[in-house]
Amino acid sequence: MLQAHSLLWHYLWVAPNLLLLGLALLIWRRGSAREIPAFVAFAVFSALGDLAVYAADLLPSVTAANFWRVDWASLLIESLLKFAVIGEVFSRVFNPYPAVSKLGRISVSGFGVVLILMAALLAAFSRGDSNERLISGAHLLEQTVFIIETGLILFLFVLAGYFQLSLDRISFGLLLGFGLSASAYLGSWALMTNAHLSARGRTLLDFLNMGTYHGCVLIWLYYLLVPGKSGPKPSVPPPDNNGLEVWNRELERLVHP
Amino acid sequence: MTLAIVLVVAAILALIFILGVAVSRNLQISADAGLTEQIQPLDIEAFRNLIDPAEDHYLRRRLSAADFRLVRRERLRAMAAYLQVAGRNAAVLVRLGQTALTASDTHTVEAARQLVNQALLMRRNAAFALLRIHLALAWPNSGFAASPILDTYERLNGSAMLLGRLQNPAAPVRIAATL
Repeated sequence: MLQAHSLLWHYLWVAPNLLLLGLALLIWRRGSAREIPAFVAFAVFSALGDLAVYAADLLPSVTAANFWRVDWASLLIESLLKFAVIGEVFSRVFNPYPAVSKLGRISVSGFGVVLILMAALLAAFSRGDSNERLISGAHLLEQTVFIIETGLILFLFVLAGYFQLSLDRISFGLLLGFGLSASAYLGSWALMTNAHLSARGRTLLDFLNMGTYHGCVLIWLYYLLVPGKSGPKPSVPPPDNNGLEVWNRELERLVHP
Repeated sequence: MTLAIVLVVAAILALIFILGVAVSRNLQISADAGLTEQIQPLDIEAFRNLIDPAEDHYLRRRLSAADFRLVRRERLRAMAAYLQVAGRNAAVLVRLGQTALTASDTHTVEAARQLVNQALLMRRNAAFALLRIHLALAWPNSGFAASPILDTYERLNGSAMLLGRLQNPAAPVRIAATL
């Protein structure tokens, strides 16, 4: 069952991408594509890219070198779109509030630069898992992208948490899915790139990655298509005249010192 | 291999953090009901006195350098305590304002937006001021003014009052009264 080219392997590679394409189509038909254009673009191009890599893996006419070229192209497009989605979520959370939007932009950019430098440094120290530069380069790029992606998502959660800004359902769902997949992928790519794993170990990690991605697509489906329950709204309690008088007295002192 | 272990540990910690955020988000919905009780009263007049530069000048003239540093450090610690409470109050007001953003009345939504913005500004300023206080604790003779924080806090009170009045005209300023 847990073998390359088994039925489960085919399902885990194809099904999440078809679900993602279906999700993009549903978002488009509901007219919500304008709300999250970067995610819709990610859903379409990432799914098509993954399916292209899948086809390249199956077709006997595709050489190993060409398979890795297709993988590189898919990886580059997917990575750029992922960062676009993170930027989109950031805008949704912080842009409505001018008091913190500029600070948020500056701090996220600064933290992003630190992450890029750190990921580049780690890539330089990584041993690489293949003599073929095309293959080890792809794996190193995966590791680099997931370090930056995980770091940015954690930073967004921390920054929003510090300011007690609640993420709307869509933003939270997107960040949750990307966060879970990025951290799971980061762990497995770190092992693949830096530890000499057996073929069996690599296959198991492949299954872990594919299963995680499937779970994340289901999370996106849930958060983007199922309407959320609204929580209880705090109503202002009855007047407290004592507190009110004290406060007004303090205000009077401030206004007329 | 060491690098792989470090990255795997980092990935596991990230995963735990993200799952924790997901769980706490669900718990937060039920905790939002008692938000107003979390606001702690704050004596603005005492805070105003603490940050008054004239007070510092007076103390500097009257005390020896060593005594002034001691007194100044005590005053800075007291300021920090005030700012921590103000920052926490601002955080509660952000949550309170955000729940009111979903109201059907446009005036309430506008007041809530204003309150959230002011509270965010306050929280941001409080964080910066706390940073400056901690620096000033190391160099007590350096100048320090927290007046912009106070101005924001006063505006915040106005926004909270307006939101309270719009949400429930019968109970206009309870939230602001506890600030």
